[in-house]
Amino acid sequence: MSSRDAILERIRRHRPQGPDLPDIHAVSFIRFEQPLAAFAALIRQLGGDAVELAEGQSVRELVAERWPKAGRTVDITGADHEEAATPHDWQDVDIAIVPGDLAVAENAAVWVSHPDNRFRSLYFLTQKLVMVVPKANIVDTMRDAYARVRITEHGFGSFIAGSSRTADIEQSLVMGAHGAMAALVIFV
Amino acid sequence: MKDDSIRHPEAAAAFLADREQARWHDSAIWWVRQKRDAQASQLPEWEALRELARTIKAHTLSRLDDYLRQFEEKAAANGVTVHWAADAEEHNRIVHGILAARQVKKLVKSKSMLTEECGLNPYLEQRGIEVIDTDLGERIVQLRHEPPSHIVMPAIHLKKEQISELFHQELGTEAGNNDPTYLTHAARANLREHFLTADAGLTGVNFGIAETGGVVVCTNEGNADLGTSLPPIHIASMGLEKLIPKLEHLGVFTRLLARSAIGSPVTTYTSHFHQARPGGEMHIVIVDNGRSEILGSDDFFQSLRCIRCGACMNTCPVYRRSSGFSYSYIIPGPIGSTLGPSRDIRKHASMAFACSTCGSCSNVCPVKINLHEQLVLHRKRAWDAGAVPTGKKMGLMAMRFLTRHPALFDLSGKVMRKVVPILPEGLTRQSAWSRAGRDLPEMPEQSFKEMYRRREEKN
Repeated sequence: MSSRDAILERIRRHRPQGPDLPDIHAVSFIRFEQPLAAFAALIRQLGGDAVELAEGQSVRELVAERWPKAGRTVDITGADHEEAATPHDWQDVDIAIVPGDLAVAENAAVWVSHPDNRFRSLYFLTQKLVMVVPKANIVDTMRDAYARVRITEHGFGSFIAGSSRTADIEQSLVMGAHGAMAALVIFV
Repeated sequence: MKDDSIRHPEAAAAFLADREQARWHDSAIWWVRQKRDAQASQLPEWEALRELARTIKAHTLSRLDDYLRQFEEKAAANGVTVHWAADAEEHNRIVHGILAARQVKKLVKSKSMLTEECGLNPYLEQRGIEVIDTDLGERIVQLRHEPPSHIVMPAIHLKKEQISELFHQELGTEAGNNDPTYLTHAARANLREHFLTADAGLTGVNFGIAETGGVVVCTNEGNADLGTSLPPIHIASMGLEKLIPKLEHLGVFTRLLARSAIGSPVTTYTSHFHQARPGGEMHIVIVDNGRSEILGSDDFFQSLRCIRCGACMNTCPVYRRSSGFSYSYIIPGPIGSTLGPSRDIRKHASMAFACSTCGSCSNVCPVKINLHEQLVLHRKRAWDAGAVPTGKKMGLMAMRFLTRHPALFDLSGKVMRKVVPILPEGLTRQSAWSRAGRDLPEMPEQSFKEMYRRREEKN
C-alpha cells in the first residue's frame, strides 16, 4: 500500500466523532463607526501610514511629495505598466505602487492579488510599498474580507499589514526585516 | 535536532543558575502574554471566536480523510504536486528527491516546526545541499547550531550581546554594536543575497484549505514570501492536521493566530499560495509522522487542533522559568508536553511533570485544547510505562500510602509542624524548596482540618 493510502486508511479507522461545521456568520463580530480612521490609527503602530488622496491630487504626486529622493519607482496600478522578465529584476526597486483590492479596519491589512502582475516578488523586494485602495472597499473584519477576496494573481494573494518587522532580538521591535521598510496605503 | 535525553528538573535547575537571565526570560515572555490579553480584550467576540475555532477544528478531525482527499484533488487541479509522507524519514527523502532531481544547491527556508521535528536540515546538509533558515530568530539559532527554544520566538533565550558577538563572527558586523536595529538590518542585507541566489524555497504551512487546495503562510518578516517568489521551486511541508474545510474559515483563524501568538492584530503577511510563480513549480508534502496515531487516542486527539501560536508557552509559569531547552521534545511548553509524550512516553515523561496544573494554558488556547488535563493523563501513562524516576516514584508511593491512611496523614502533619521549626538550618537548606533560594514557610500551629473543626464548633 502507498503511504497515501496507508495514511488515509489509518485516519479513517481512528477519526473521532465530531460536531457539524458551525455557521461562522451567526456570531456578531466587532463593527467600526469610522473604519478608515480605525485603519489609519492602527497601521501607524505597524510601521505604516494611511492617507486619503486629496481632490485633484494624483497618487504619483502624493508619493513624490512623501519621498522626494526616490530611486527606481514601479507603478503597476495602470493598464500599461512596466514588466519584469524574471522575478529577480525587481531587486533594485525603491518604491512599488500596487493596487489593493480591499482594506480591513480591524487589523490594517490590505488584500493584494493583481491579475496583471507577473511576479509577486515586487511586493516583497521593494523598499517601500504603496498600496492604492478604493475607500469604499473597507471592511470591518477578516470574516467580511474573506467573503470578498478573489485569488487572481497566478494563484497568489496576500494580506499585507504595515511594513515587514521582527522582534527576534530581545523582543525589540525593528521595522524592515526582509520585506518593505515602509508601507503606505492611499485611499482613493 | 534536540537531545531527547534532557530531563526537565535538571535542565531547569541549570537554566535557573543564571538568576538574572532567568528573570529576564520570564518577564520578556510574560510581556507577550500581556500583549495577547490586550488584543483579546479589544474584541467582544473573543470567546465566541475561540469556540468557533474549536468547533471547526473538531469537525475537521472527525472527517480528516475526506478533507485530505478534497485538498489533494483541488491542489492537483491547480497544478500543484502533492506528496504523502508516512514519517519523518519519508518526508526528508521526498524533499531531497525534489531538490536533487533539479540540482538544487541552496535552499532558503522559512519557519517550520515540522521540518525541525523531521530533522530535515541535517539530512539535506549531509547530502550536500546548503540550507539557509531565513526567519531572523531561526537564522540566529542555526548559526549557533542550536534548536529553537520557542516555536514563535526561536531566539528568546538569547541576549542581544550574544547575538552581536555571533553576527560579528559570522556576518562581520561591528564588534560590540548591540543595537537590535543595526543587527537586524545587517541580517537583512546578508539574507537578501541568499534569497536572490537560492535555487529553491521551503515553507511550513499555517493552514491548508480543503475547499481550494491552497496553503496559507503567516510571517511578520516576509521571509516566506521572498523565499517562494524568487526561486523557481516552492516546497510546502504540512502536518496533516493543518487542514481547515473552507476559505471563509480563515476569517476565524487569522483573527486568533497573531493575537494569541504575539499580541498583534495580524501578522504583516498572510499569504495564500495556490500555484507556483510563473515558470516555477509548487509541491506540498503532507506529513503524518505519528499524527494519525494520536487521532485514535480518546485522551489526546484534541491536541491535533493546535495551530502552533505558542500562547500556552507564554502563559506557562513553568516554561517562562525554565526555557524551551529544559524540554526534551522539539516543541516545548504545554502543547509540546502533550505532543512529546504522545510520541514516546519513555523519552518525554519528564515533560508531563513540568506542570503545576494551574490550567492557564487551557484558558488562553485559541482552539481550547484541554492541555493541563492531558498532561495529568500523560503522568499516569508515565507511571504505567515505568518511566517515572525512582526518587519521584518513592515520593508518590509514600504520598499514596499517606492519603489512604488518614490517621497517619494527620499524625505526620503534626510531627512536621513540630519538628521542622527546630531542625538545624544546615539540614533544611538541602530541601528542594530551599535550594531554589527560598526560606521555609512558617509552620502553622494547627492543620487545616483542626482549624476548620474549631470554626465549626464556634459557629
